[in-house]
Amino acid sequence: MAQESSVPAMTPPGPGDPIPVPPDFPVDWAGAGDEKAFWMLDRMHFPRPLTPLGASLLEVAIGPALAAAMADSPAPMDARMRAINGYMYMAMAPLPPPPDAAERGARQQEELMQMLPRIGEVWENVWLPEVQENLRFWEGFDLDGASQSELIAHLDESIARFKRVWTIHMTVVFPVHLAMQLFDDMYRDLFGDEDRFGAYRLTQGFDNKTLEGDRALWALSRQALAEPAVRSIVEEQAAADVMPALEAEPAATEFLAALQAYLDEYGQRGPDYDEVGEPSWIEDPTPAILRIKDFMGQADRDLAAELDARATEREEAMAAVREQLGSYPEPVVQQFEALLAAAQQSTVLTEVHNFWIDFRSVYRMRRLFLTAGRQLAEAGVIADANDVFYLTIGEVRRSLEDPTADLRALVAKRKAEHRHQGELQAPPALGTMPPGAPPDDPMTRSNMNFFGAPPPPPTDPGTLRGAAGSPGTARGTARVIRSLVDGDKLEIGDILVTEATAPPWSSLFARAAAIVTDTGGILSHCSVVAREYGIPAVVGTGMGTAMIRDGQEIEVDGSTGTIRLLE
Amino acid sequence: MTDVTAEAALGLPPLLRLDDPRASTVEAVGGKAARLSRLATRYRVPPGFCLTTAAWEWQKTAGGMTAELRMLIEAAHAELARVTGQAEPIVAARSSAVDEDGAGSSFAGQLETFLNVTGLDELLRAIAGCWDSAASERVATYRREQGLPSEAVPVGVLVQQLVDADVAAVAFSANPVTGNRDEVVINASYGLGESIVSGTVTPDTYTVRRSDLTITDLRLGEKQVMTIRAPGGTREVPVPRLLRAQRALDDTHLAEIARLAIDLEAATGAPVDVECAYRGGDLYLLQCRPITTLR
Repeated sequence: MAQESSVPAMTPPGPGDPIPVPPDFPVDWAGAGDEKAFWMLDRMHFPRPLTPLGASLLEVAIGPALAAAMADSPAPMDARMRAINGYMYMAMAPLPPPPDAAERGARQQEELMQMLPRIGEVWENVWLPEVQENLRFWEGFDLDGASQSELIAHLDESIARFKRVWTIHMTVVFPVHLAMQLFDDMYRDLFGDEDRFGAYRLTQGFDNKTLEGDRALWALSRQALAEPAVRSIVEEQAAADVMPALEAEPAATEFLAALQAYLDEYGQRGPDYDEVGEPSWIEDPTPAILRIKDFMGQADRDLAAELDARATEREEAMAAVREQLGSYPEPVVQQFEALLAAAQQSTVLTEVHNFWIDFRSVYRMRRLFLTAGRQLAEAGVIADANDVFYLTIGEVRRSLEDPTADLRALVAKRKAEHRHQGELQAPPALGTMPPGAPPDDPMTRSNMNFFGAPPPPPTDPGTLRGAAGSPGTARGTARVIRSLVDGDKLEIGDILVTEATAPPWSSLFARAAAIVTDTGGILSHCSVVAREYGIPAVVGTGMGTAMIRDGQEIEVDGSTGTIRLLE
Repeated sequence: MTDVTAEAALGLPPLLRLDDPRASTVEAVGGKAARLSRLATRYRVPPGFCLTTAAWEWQKTAGGMTAELRMLIEAAHAELARVTGQAEPIVAARSSAVDEDGAGSSFAGQLETFLNVTGLDELLRAIAGCWDSAASERVATYRREQGLPSEAVPVGVLVQQLVDADVAAVAFSANPVTGNRDEVVINASYGLGESIVSGTVTPDTYTVRRSDLTITDLRLGEKQVMTIRAPGGTREVPVPRLLRAQRALDDTHLAEIARLAIDLEAATGAPVDVECAYRGGDLYLLQCRPITTLR
């Protein structure tokens, strides 16, 4: 007894309590009120610590873009993003209502509900053209020919444009998730809970940029198989040696041109989401080469026909639902049809917005900073152009203006810090516990179903639970993979276990028997794409990568969100 | 020959269109059908026909449905198909007793009603079901308990298109709670009116000022469930959350209903309780009774 009482009780913090911070994860609360906010780790978009430049982009552009979009929503939120020890945390809390809140909120809500069924059209006619205008601005600037002062002016304008493009991003994604949530809510209100995926069968089978990119990569694999010289190079050379070998092979010209066209269109992205410090596939096509090698080893399949089959399934399910709705009051049918249209377009936009905004805008920033990095390296400020990612935007700008300071020691210190951060276990939450349970409204539900809610406790010791992401069951060998370049560890029929699957990971879905992720919910990118590939997924397990051993036999039930550990 | 005898005896055909002036008396078609018949010429009442008390006497004498009655019903059913534009009209068959809803006592709930009846065979069974319910042991017991003559009273059968209501409403041309005669009070919820009438749902409650038809009070009801047609009748299903949080009726619809209630009060000379429904933007009058409980 005496011994027990000397040990401090480990009770979890209650509502409004400060959340204990692990000793190796010191937090320096910089912003006003930050300590009182409830911060959630976003491992889905940022499974690894951000580089200092990535954190700086978050601070000056992506975070303010989120704050601006959320402050202006029907239910205004105070939304903040911080890189803490390199890890991305997000806090959202209702803002104190302005005097005209009820009226303004109701009007905005009305406008939002009017917009949702046309969200695809609004994207095509309003948001995408503005994004493309910005992309053209960046494409039209001659980075290599720019003087130092021109580069500084370009940097300033680029940050403003980057912030604007990300404001569009935040203006798109919350309605997108809300539409999917409202449709799921309505489907279950009408037809019950038994079929967790009933709503999602009605939104599947539409093409999107992720699937389109996978088909293009698949076509390259078939082209490579058909050309003996290309085939032997791609099959026999190590991934990193394939490009030089192809360039030296006259018979590979046609294939190389096709590969280059693929990279120009789909390669403006790194291995994950929005990390400016990671090389794009254009710079280092290894991830694409690895996927082509993988596809070449797979039996022929017709991905377009598979997509058509999903569409046929959708239309059959749709006909059955419309038959059922035949005797329902018109306001119910109209609301259902409006939300169905909204959810179908939104499902496509979950993948399309990444392609145009996340990947292309970050790629443009990367090219800009690499150019700045080369200038700074020439001036001796840093040792290598790539060291620029260990500076903040402010430091880069000041160094361009006055390239006399030697920042090599600072870069070395930051690199060591970044390596150390990579070894940390970032706590899932920081700051102060929220005063009570989250409100049960569609917006909150949509956020939970996108980012993932805390997983339910396991039903028995041999199981692990998460959220149902994509229906079906599969049994196989678990492969715990933390980086896309390790994707070839995954054999056909294996189950991919990872923290998160950013869109560049989707080509692995053609190989995996099932997917298990630590993060995300039924609305997440991973779930959307797993459903299109027709493979089971359990998402948001919280600790799947920690609990499942690489090589372990597991059974995944994507319909219930359960994983059985078989050994 | 029997039909001629029966018609001659009562001066009444066994089947009348609802808007036929001869269907406007309680003696001819029962209370419920007679009231609607009087409204059918002036308001948008769902089309239909009545089996009169003559038909009741006839089937009683014959011991059930006769071939001649069946032919009359078949012809009226075909006519209804033409009028409604439905190949297979969806109808409701309701008992309409001669002393039902009368001043003395009410048959409320004792006589059969069949909703969502489709096809001639189903309709014939429903009509027979209404007749049988008037002669049932249950009704006989009820009548004994009420001190009414033990012999079954004649019953008419009202066959009417069932309007697939988007929103059903009950309007009171005077405030039934406060007795205020300057207000119309409207209850409204999604689907067929059964959920409001049977009290399984908390409808929206709107108070409308009679002088200028402005909404002076609006209480959103929970509208938990709605009645919809289902195979063999109707069923109650949950109302989706998003619609529960919305008004069932907008200002324009409320003004239209209020005008109808005010007009019906003027026509009958006393405050009324009106059942009505919207389908595809059209307002249908389903029932109209005096408010008996008004202070």
